[in-house]
Amino acid sequence: MDFTLSEEQQMLQDTVVRLVRDSYSFEQREQFYRSEPGFSWAFWQQLGELGLCSVPIAEAHGGFGGSGVDNLLIMTELGRNLCLEPFLQSQIHGAGLLQQLGNAQQCEALLPRVASGELQLAVALEESQSHYLLHDVQTRAVVVDGGWKLSGHKVVVVGGHSAGLILLSARTAGEPLDEQGISLFLLDPASVGVSRRAYPNIDGPHACDVVLDEVFIAADSLLGEPGRALPALRYQRGRAIAAQCAEAVGGMQEAFRLTLDYLKTRQQFGAPIGKFQVLQHRMADMRGELELASSMAILAACVADEVDSEERSRRLAAAKFVVVRAARFIAEQAIQLHGGIGMTWEYNLAHHAKRLVMLSHQLGDDDHHLQAYAELLKSA
Amino acid sequence: MDINYTPAELEFRDEVRAFVSVALPDDIAAKVRLGKHLSKDDHQRWQRILAKRGWYAANWPVEHGGTGWSVVQKHIFEEECAAFGAPRLISFGVNMVAPVIIKFGTQTQKDHYLPRILSGEDWWCQGYSEPGAGSDLASLKTRAVRDGEHYIVNGQKTWTTLGQHANMIFCLVRTDPDAQQQRGISFLLIDMASPGITVRPIITLDGDHEVNEVFFDNVRVPVANLVGEENQGWTCAKYLLTHERTGQAGIAQSKAALAQLKQVAARELRNGRPLLDDPLFRAQVAEVEIQLLAIEVSTLRILAAAQAGGVPGAESSILKIKGSEIRQAISHLLRKALGVHALPFVEEELDFDHAGELRHADYSAAPAGQYFNLRKLSIYGGSNEIQKNIIAKMILEL
Amino acid sequence: MKVLVAIKRVVDYNVKVRVKADESGVDLANVKMSMNPFCEIAVEEAVRLKEKGVASEIVVVSIGPTAAQEQLRTALALGADRAVLVESSEELNSLAVAKLLKAVVDKEQPQLVILGKQAIDSDNNQTGQMLGALTGYAQGTFASKVEVAGDKVNVTREIDGGLQTVALNLPAIVTTDLRLNEPRYASLPNIMKAKKKPLEVLTPDALGVTTTSTVKTLKVEAPAGRSAGIKVKSVAELVEKLKNEAKVI
Repeated sequence: MDFTLSEEQQMLQDTVVRLVRDSYSFEQREQFYRSEPGFSWAFWQQLGELGLCSVPIAEAHGGFGGSGVDNLLIMTELGRNLCLEPFLQSQIHGAGLLQQLGNAQQCEALLPRVASGELQLAVALEESQSHYLLHDVQTRAVVVDGGWKLSGHKVVVVGGHSAGLILLSARTAGEPLDEQGISLFLLDPASVGVSRRAYPNIDGPHACDVVLDEVFIAADSLLGEPGRALPALRYQRGRAIAAQCAEAVGGMQEAFRLTLDYLKTRQQFGAPIGKFQVLQHRMADMRGELELASSMAILAACVADEVDSEERSRRLAAAKFVVVRAARFIAEQAIQLHGGIGMTWEYNLAHHAKRLVMLSHQLGDDDHHLQAYAELLKSA
Repeated sequence: MDINYTPAELEFRDEVRAFVSVALPDDIAAKVRLGKHLSKDDHQRWQRILAKRGWYAANWPVEHGGTGWSVVQKHIFEEECAAFGAPRLISFGVNMVAPVIIKFGTQTQKDHYLPRILSGEDWWCQGYSEPGAGSDLASLKTRAVRDGEHYIVNGQKTWTTLGQHANMIFCLVRTDPDAQQQRGISFLLIDMASPGITVRPIITLDGDHEVNEVFFDNVRVPVANLVGEENQGWTCAKYLLTHERTGQAGIAQSKAALAQLKQVAARELRNGRPLLDDPLFRAQVAEVEIQLLAIEVSTLRILAAAQAGGVPGAESSILKIKGSEIRQAISHLLRKALGVHALPFVEEELDFDHAGELRHADYSAAPAGQYFNLRKLSIYGGSNEIQKNIIAKMILEL
Repeated sequence: MKVLVAIKRVVDYNVKVRVKADESGVDLANVKMSMNPFCEIAVEEAVRLKEKGVASEIVVVSIGPTAAQEQLRTALALGADRAVLVESSEELNSLAVAKLLKAVVDKEQPQLVILGKQAIDSDNNQTGQMLGALTGYAQGTFASKVEVAGDKVNVTREIDGGLQTVALNLPAIVTTDLRLNEPRYASLPNIMKAKKKPLEVLTPDALGVTTTSTVKTLKVEAPAGRSAGIKVKSVAELVEKLKNEAKVI
């Protein structure tokens, strides 16, 4: 057992910490949020130039071949400053799917561009009715001469508005809830028949809905074997969950720090409010939740890249469950302990709170993962 | 970063596993698993088996007959023992008073007491709490007044766990009534056979006799039984508390309890199916298993830090809180799993040797009582509220 | 031209330091350590000189515990070519450090030595000057601009009320001020390259330097807590208080 970072990881962390600290103040974030893509292309380019975009991508494809722990280091810092860039969606989730399902040609053509930060990916899996179930796919793809024709509707594709390519699940065979018959396609959002409606999410990042009206795409846009994408979708969601847990831990640490500072400065009844035992115990409770969530984020990072197994699935579901519950608790208590100021747009704590609560609405909430865990429960 | 045990640690685990699987008497394991009464002899049998293997004094340095194990090895050992249903070691002698004697005791005290603890000749109990001194331990009132080569001790201790079996008690007593709170306290070793000592049982809400009151009426204690310096007993007490707190999360016991819960829920029926297949109940089992995993990883993180030379600080308070809560949650589910069968209070079925017909199953007599008994976890060893005070003060600096 | 850069491992500037209960020093257990910010500026300046083709090799040196290798690796990741650690677990004062650096200078024979003007932990602002005295090299302290021209280096210095530019004959010593440059981030490829760059470990004994200190720290105290502010009713009252109570105007 060893929970320390290697020298290189330490330096990687230092680089991200400094970069984010220097270029992502809360005021700057607010500007990025209000700007056109809803994040900073300049910051994204910097992530690329410093090699950070390449961390999750295999060396064979121009990446760094980083471990889950390397991803954790980056995501934690991005979470600490509420960064709006779709790093998770593009570099971890999207690139992961492309790497797992793409053939040599597809990987060679695209992944080096993703690794450099030049090409951004998004992942479109959710539909109006799917409610986190990856196999509930109604978007259809039918074979036509020279390619496929796609029709359907994908919702809340984070980063989908700015992505150069969207990875999109569609049914090529079977009935709506079948586990077989799901395929993954590379969609150029500029294709004829694609319409995107973009909006900000309540927690900051921008997203879009994607409507596909008989969109023709070439045959080589299919990733992997037709109808067999589901295991990869599940596996890569696991990797994305690990990254999300790390991001949440960064956010929780910051929300906790802000609240603790506030308790030491805010005076009421002639004393800093942190002198009141009821608030001290609330902080102790938050610290406890943070401890468990941090542990589970580390566990998730360590198993994210393991070979697929029930044990891996159990641990990732458990991590998401613990982190979601802890995040909501810390978010709600942080607002409560701040009082009115915690309710305002102009104070960054409020935005952390939103992010921490809403993370349960992506990649499955606590109920979803509790059920997943329960199904995989080992008998005694 | 690596969350797995090293090859050497895995080898050690296999060695412990191989030993415990053979050496632990079946009847003791069954009693622990089913929550039946353990006798003094059961405890002592297991202690002797471990002592013979050289594994009884896990926390002692090698030169005194200890194992010299690392914190990770100790954790592995506890885990394996609990998994096979070994009773938790009664820690008052081997893991509480012994480290204090090793650290603060005289050579004569070490030579006399340590071998007797190892051999099981002495059974120690703890004289800390008093009717007026619980969480606020430093307000204790039991007095020790110097009279030549003796102290004369007067007062009352309470919540003395398994004091009915003990022949020795270590006590915090007040030797300077004028000094402020912690200052005037001394650490005394007292023979339970001394004239003037009365032990009276306290029956807990589960009907069990586990704790006692101990009265001291002009008890003469040789000055040679003072550990450390007079009025410096609080230093010993604080040192002992750091020993008490490691492993307080009780992960190993919770894991064993969870395994038992799953077994029971697989045998109890609802709607014609095992209760464990009932989605709602299954989800609750899943939830405690997930929480337990999170506490376990947190424990391993603290152990790894301690292994690397760090001192487990107030983080262990977090583990104490979380560990006690999860153990209580599991016992709550085990009680629930039994449905109406948790209600009958048939005490003779708690005897392992009970020959009569069982009301329901061998596992159904104990859980309700055990659930009530385990409310103690969040009260003793520094109540969970005290732990939160420690976190607020030490980690948060509030 | 060979450039030697000296760096120091200090508590990260973002950490709120805590004084030990016995007031013997600052509690360093589990505290994040980093390169002294002025030293980062020194490394950056050397790397820029190399990028301009002025410097041919950058040797970075640190004096401190084994763990100071972390900061040396960071310097290598920022662009230094090789590193030297003079390992010592003792707490060394500025003179001892300057003597050790002198020994390294004798060994390496650099044309230019760049140091931070001071370290943020002890705030001595002495080492560069002492090294100048020991080596007899020209020194330009508090540099906000450094230009190498032939066998001279022009150093613009931040002094009270303005800027002063001096020309130093090489070999020379420069200590950096805050506005000299903005240090870069270590990029991932460079972090990986740093792993393969050479790092030599020396001891004061091997360098023939004794480091016995003539200074002993008696006590370290935390600053007094801020007292609460007050509200004044008028500008006149504010001026009165600034003048008579705070005595700042």
